[in-house]
Amino acid sequence: MAEDARVRERIRTFIAEVFFVDRFDDEQSLLRTGLLDSMGMSQLVAFLEEEFALEVRDEELVPENLDSVSRATAFVTRKQGRPAA
Amino acid sequence: MCGIAGFTVGEGGSADAGRSERLRRMTAALRHRGPDAQRAVLLDGVALGHARLAILDPAGGVQPMTDPGTGVTLVFNGEVFNHPELRGRLSGHRFRTRSDTEVILAAYLARGIDCVRELNGQFAFALWDPRTRELWLARDRVGIAPLCYAIGDGVLAFASEAKALFAGGFARPALDAAAVKQSLQLWAPVAPRTLFEGIRALPPRSVARWAGGRLEVRRYWDLDLGAEPSPVEAERAVEEVGALLEDAVRIRLRADVPVAAYLSGGLDSSLVCAMAQRALGGALSTYSVRFSDRAWDERAFQDGVAAALRTRHVPAELAAREIGELLPAVVRHAEQVLVRSAPAPLLRLSAAVRRDGTRVVLTGEGADEIFLGYDLYKETRVRQLWSRDPRAAWRAAPLAGLHRAQRALARGELVREFYAAGLDRPDAVEFSHLVRWGASGRIARFLSADFAARTEGEDPVASLVASLPPAVRRWRPLARAQYLEFETLLSGYLLSAQGDRMLMANGVEGRFPFLDHRLIEHVARLPDRLKLRRLREKWVLREVAARWLPPCDAARPKFPYRAPIAAALVGPAAPAWSAEVFAPESVRALGVFDPDKVLRLVRKVEASPAGASEADASALVAIATTHLLGRAFREPTPVAAPHLAAVELVA
Repeated sequence: MAEDARVRERIRTFIAEVFFVDRFDDEQSLLRTGLLDSMGMSQLVAFLEEEFALEVRDEELVPENLDSVSRATAFVTRKQGRPAA
Repeated sequence: MCGIAGFTVGEGGSADAGRSERLRRMTAALRHRGPDAQRAVLLDGVALGHARLAILDPAGGVQPMTDPGTGVTLVFNGEVFNHPELRGRLSGHRFRTRSDTEVILAAYLARGIDCVRELNGQFAFALWDPRTRELWLARDRVGIAPLCYAIGDGVLAFASEAKALFAGGFARPALDAAAVKQSLQLWAPVAPRTLFEGIRALPPRSVARWAGGRLEVRRYWDLDLGAEPSPVEAERAVEEVGALLEDAVRIRLRADVPVAAYLSGGLDSSLVCAMAQRALGGALSTYSVRFSDRAWDERAFQDGVAAALRTRHVPAELAAREIGELLPAVVRHAEQVLVRSAPAPLLRLSAAVRRDGTRVVLTGEGADEIFLGYDLYKETRVRQLWSRDPRAAWRAAPLAGLHRAQRALARGELVREFYAAGLDRPDAVEFSHLVRWGASGRIARFLSADFAARTEGEDPVASLVASLPPAVRRWRPLARAQYLEFETLLSGYLLSAQGDRMLMANGVEGRFPFLDHRLIEHVARLPDRLKLRRLREKWVLREVAARWLPPCDAARPKFPYRAPIAAALVGPAAPAWSAEVFAPESVRALGVFDPDKVLRLVRKVEASPAGASEADASALVAIATTHLLGRAFREPTPVAAPHLAAVELVA
């Protein structure tokens, strides 16, 4: 789905640029594999809120929503009222 | 402490002018370690140089020291604190001096090189035995005193610091790529590797024998942290630990010059200061670092303890900007790649100490390693419990408390994921450090493609694990974690880059009561629950402290010593050298890091210095210090002519 791909690409670009990583895959756990540290996760959440004009509630701060590019993509598209691919 | 240097000479090798010049250059290059006298001797078989910081028997303890009967000759850096007791046991020797140097010489003559097992102290020495034509090198149990060497063309050259090997022409200052990669992740290279190609460090607790053109290295002491705990009443444990620590402090006050102390404001140094103050009858001077940026500053605690103990307290204050200015000197002395700026304030502090007329200080270093003081041990305990049932979230709950609270992790589930590294391998020897090394390993993202490819075969964690004694794998998880801390953080960084090198840069000797091997051995045999009681660190030491310090100081939670980074290296207050170091052409010329990423990192931190993450700040320090180290010794080390002339060549 085009919108899903756009969200995914924005998230990937953000991670690559802010955290200086070249290679990572969309299913990879961001925290377990050390791609992001806890502060990095905070930055990712702030980015999602600003970039996609949404509000992340505290109870949504769980690995299922955020701990990989694919999960974050699905979370954003779900929040935007569109089903994830 | 002092500085030592030397090299072997083939049989019948004469004292030619070339050799004496090399020896003088090496000795002069260590003048900062021993400003009081520099002496060198050329013998048939070996050349030995010594730069002296006179602490004990200023008149008699002159080095190199030769036993007139046998010709056995010693150059020694450090202190043997139990020298009066050893002297009493060496009744067959006719002592000519009051020095601990002669005690080592006499002990060697009586018992051979195994005499090192009897020494309680911090030392690195080289001993030439002309009877057997053997050169012995030895280093203390935890690696307080440095010693490195290079072998080439059948010659062994050694020195307290690599710069003396460069000055003598025994090594080239080319960075060792694997050591750079190891330092970025582990904070130090894996011994015996050093940051320079062709230079090896003699590992702590080792002796080396050079004979017939070959070097054999062996350990003479086991850092046995895995001993089966002995059952002991808590009350008795507190008394025994208190008595041992008090004795460790007492023998470290032995000197012919005043002994002072560093006071960080934390529990460990406060306790050492309290014990020293009582032993000295109220004559203790204390020294502290203060930061003008209050976020890093601990002056309220330092002043409070100093007032309570009635010490003569001397603070040294510095601003973030000065840390950047100090960094080139820090790197030249440390001879390491750094990922933290914390050594810089200690270089400033030792200068203040020396200016104040003091040349010996006690510090609290080592307590966190032996009494389980770091959060890492709590983390290990919780992760071990969690690993037994990774689906049981409650097992991981305490991890959120170890973590600085941040909004994205408010509910704890995400914190858990961060701490889940290696959860399926709780028996792996490196288990305790996987979270930390996962984080520090992120600096590798800044490596250039070429450097990354060149060092692809180097896995720092695997190299460290391969270097561990096999017994360590069978120890309890907390003991394994302790051993890794001793190997990497303590001897590789805290005692060296942040310890000896920052002290001796200004001719100040550090002494470390918590690293008395009697205390290490004793505390290792205490049950873990007397050290880490549930998640309360250093329990038995706190109980000791409660008898010596006001209640609030004895109960104070751990506050890690850190120094500002980002603002010290980029932005308007950055030092003049930083623009050149971070410039793409410099980064490209060094060949270690990716110029584009470095540029992006600098811009990112410049835009928001306060928002720089720890990973960003570490990367900045690593990039800067790798560059500074790469060029620090590029030109032949300049040895000032008056310093060279000051080296006395004795017959």
